[in-house]
Amino acid sequence: MSLIDILRKVELFNGLGDSELRDVEGLCVERRLHRGEIITTQGKHEDELFIVTQGFIEIILGEAKAEPRKIVVNLGEGQIIGEMSLVDQGPRSATARAAVEATTVQAISCRDFEVLCERNAHIGYMVMRNIASDLSFKLRHRNLSEGGR
Amino acid sequence: MAVYKVSFVVIGSDYPGAIVNRDHAPYLGERITLGGHQFEVIEVLNLMPPRGEFHYIHATVKLSKPPRKKK
Repeated sequence: MSLIDILRKVELFNGLGDSELRDVEGLCVERRLHRGEIITTQGKHEDELFIVTQGFIEIILGEAKAEPRKIVVNLGEGQIIGEMSLVDQGPRSATARAAVEATTVQAISCRDFEVLCERNAHIGYMVMRNIASDLSFKLRHRNLSEGGR
Repeated sequence: MAVYKVSFVVIGSDYPGAIVNRDHAPYLGERITLGGHQFEVIEVLNLMPPRGEFHYIHATVKLSKPPRKKK
């Protein structure tokens, strides 16, 4: 499957046309991860957004506090990590690490992505709308997870 | 090309659950494997209205095979 076909199935890019997806494709850098490899660290300022294309990424809270570390969710194919930094430029809200061997992500520089969104307002609008939808979905998942335990 | 974004919430296990895109919606009784554990789907509901090709689904799953105890 081509990278364009993979990106087409990622909610972040829902509503983008083929030429817009090709612009996004040009920013992607593939990274293959070993199990346990960390891609974001809670509390740090980092510049990349990640899209999971294979395997699972564990989202871990508690790195920056004196609390026990807790895995809150596993994000699989099609999910995005680091999108909050694109919105608020803040530090990482969680640590993310590969849960299984050969987990693969596409990394995109937030700075380069912002330039693309500013150059093409349609991409910027669709991506921000899709990030809002993704955050809403994750919040609903969290509510159901907390309520079910 | 429908994409089903599924929130899997696990009961009766320490496994923290998962969010993953799939090419079909989960269904009651379906056996799925997450993090090396096998689960059975016991509840499915629409979490948000669909947008374009994307469907937003919640599935509650329970452990269908308990992990082996270490000796």
